[in-house]
Amino acid sequence: MGDKRGLLFDATLCIGCGACYEACKERNQLPRTAAHFLDDRLSDQTYTVVKRRGGRFVRQLCMHCEVPTCVSVCPVGALEKTATGPVIYHEARCIGCRYCMLACPFGIPKYEWRKILPRVRKCDLCADRLAAGRPPACAEVCPTGATRFGDRQALIEEARARIRTHPQKYVPRIYGLEEVGGTSVLLLSDIPFERLGYRTDLLSEPLPLLTWQVLQKIPNFVAVGSVLLGGIWWITNRRREVQLRERQQREVREPSAPESADPSHEEP
Amino acid sequence: MMRWSFRRPGFWQLVFALILGVGLYSTVVRFTGGLGASTALSDAFPWGLWIGFDVLCGVALAAGGFTLSAVVYIFNVERFRPIIRPTILTAFLGYALVIVALLFDLGRPYRIWHPLVMWNPHSVMFEVAWCVMLYTTVLALEFSPMVFERLRLERPLRILHALTVPLVILGVILSTLHQSSLGSLYLIVPEKLHPLWYSPLLPIFFFISAIALGCAMPIFESFLSYRAFRKRLEIELLADLGKVIVVTLAVYLVLKIQDLAGRGVLSRIVEPTYEGRMFLAEMLLGVIGPILLLSLRRIRTDHFGLFVSAVLVVLGFIMNRLNVSITGMEASSGVSYFPSWTELSVTLMIVALGFALFGAAAKYLPVFPEKERLPAPTLVEPPAVAVLRRPWIGTTPLVLILGGLFFIGAMGSAYSGLQHRERALATAPASEESEPEIADGLERFEVPPDVTFPQGEASPGPVTFRHASHLNWERPNCTICHHEPFRMLKAFGSVTASPARDLHDERHCGRCHDGRTSFSVKEECTACHRP
Repeated sequence: MGDKRGLLFDATLCIGCGACYEACKERNQLPRTAAHFLDDRLSDQTYTVVKRRGGRFVRQLCMHCEVPTCVSVCPVGALEKTATGPVIYHEARCIGCRYCMLACPFGIPKYEWRKILPRVRKCDLCADRLAAGRPPACAEVCPTGATRFGDRQALIEEARARIRTHPQKYVPRIYGLEEVGGTSVLLLSDIPFERLGYRTDLLSEPLPLLTWQVLQKIPNFVAVGSVLLGGIWWITNRRREVQLRERQQREVREPSAPESADPSHEEP
Repeated sequence: MMRWSFRRPGFWQLVFALILGVGLYSTVVRFTGGLGASTALSDAFPWGLWIGFDVLCGVALAAGGFTLSAVVYIFNVERFRPIIRPTILTAFLGYALVIVALLFDLGRPYRIWHPLVMWNPHSVMFEVAWCVMLYTTVLALEFSPMVFERLRLERPLRILHALTVPLVILGVILSTLHQSSLGSLYLIVPEKLHPLWYSPLLPIFFFISAIALGCAMPIFESFLSYRAFRKRLEIELLADLGKVIVVTLAVYLVLKIQDLAGRGVLSRIVEPTYEGRMFLAEMLLGVIGPILLLSLRRIRTDHFGLFVSAVLVVLGFIMNRLNVSITGMEASSGVSYFPSWTELSVTLMIVALGFALFGAAAKYLPVFPEKERLPAPTLVEPPAVAVLRRPWIGTTPLVLILGGLFFIGAMGSAYSGLQHRERALATAPASEESEPEIADGLERFEVPPDVTFPQGEASPGPVTFRHASHLNWERPNCTICHHEPFRMLKAFGSVTASPARDLHDERHCGRCHDGRTSFSVKEECTACHRP
């Protein structure tokens, strides 16, 4: 067992009561944003929603990826994957490039578009509560156990056990076990996950690998490139100098030759 | 077009003033109202025109600078030296304007320096930020001799002259990294960018197409400066650049086809979809058209032909960058994006500033060697290379027909693509909205425990609140009562009656026990107060 925490959401247990939605609003001191919580959507003022999809209720929230795309793309390290699981945001570093929003495969980070000095907003898995040994607000209030908090590995075992016990009920798959390298939030469902609005075409390796494969070559490229270009310059320049000297010698021997203006003496 | 005269404002001065005025107004809107008030951007579409055009295309303006300075200073091909300075100037202006655009686009522009001290080498954006900072510095140094020469400062000139080759090498390295890294930015969105544009080769495609643009820009600029400053066209030189464009674009085309075929999406080019048609338009305009036109010697060695071909390359290039950043991202975002007038006017202002600064530099600084100025301009020059026999059609009509054909073809394709735009955006899976089955969950529904309120003075009896009797079991909805003031995360017992807080009021029990939603707190006291 590691010290990584996570959430297990079981769509077969959710009754759509909105307790998680309301607890999240309360914990983050967010204003009411919809007449009915089922009609709300993720925004800078709503970090989790309950949606009606395919005859089920399903939650949307930050998945807290094991190797988060948002953390990897942020140029200033404003997003951080903490050791216990939550992906948190350091507001004071953020420059507002919004690359995290473009890159997130789940479309989670939202922006305070209406503000002059906007911030990126998203679920932080109640990192402060976790540090104090308490579960995230949404898990604490869930009346059915649809959202369970715990050790990520233990939750995976729990999910496997549920699938084993009810093989005819569950889709035999834990969403978040492998998606983009695994996520701290895991899902169980009795209908295909795409019907719940979750993408099932995501790669199973972490997306940051795609850019890292290119980025890691940069030091080599700079070193080899500089030497190569320097070398080419050295050779071509030498050749030009030799040509110049030969021409000058010729001109000394035959003074009548027309003077050729060589532009190479000009400055850059 | 930049014939400045301070006595009477000409047509272009008026246009410039108008663009500047609207742009400045939009600037005020942007910095007083925020991004939400000034752009069409949204959570679903966080990058728009300012990134897609101003940054992605602005950076590529520098490609001419690094390509030609490599050719002249590293490979010592002296012939291209006369067009080095305009390309360095273009590159410098391009980068300066990219920084201006970033100041508009960043949510917190005053933190633009953060990547200097806050590092994340895993981020492509971090690489981009460093390339922008370093290469702007290099370009400023490469550009500065023009200023020092004008001011007749010999010492700095000598120092810079000694630094030329290291600077050029640094510039080529940085620029190669930067052009390609703009493509790498999109490597991390394989599930969002349409497969016609998403490719593991994105960095290479961005780099190659930037070189083609880098060769087209000097042609484009030379033509304009010739019109404005009577600068002699280096036609043989530019024709050679045209050849380079043909080769570069041909390599690009072959790689592109191989890449599409390798990923099994080649057939999607011809599919009548939004993306397919936009892709076709981009290729016709910026790749196939210019290859064909510039392959013809007659067109390549003709001023007008070169100019038209260069314009096609530039337009196709812009379309490519917009397709990657906007067209290809729309379907997965589920929203349609079209820039707001504020975004458009700021972009227009930045472009106009670019033209104006280039014009001013060309007028006041030794950008073009003095000896190259010719007294009288004619609008259409005869081909520089003598035509031995009379061709069946004049070069200008030929250019117009071929160029027009590709332009109209591309525009037609783009128009047809836009017809399919609605459909592309409506591909989000339509989930059937059957009634949720909540029986399963209800089996495990643990109703929160009852809460007994202590009996206050003059109260007929203590009140025990039972969640079970306050629930709509068909459709449980905790948010109705739990928004205010019955918060969930506090201990429920903290909500008690006091002289200051009467639980009967309309913010507490009285909210629903008002005689309409449920029985009123004013009647039936013993319904709740049970001795």
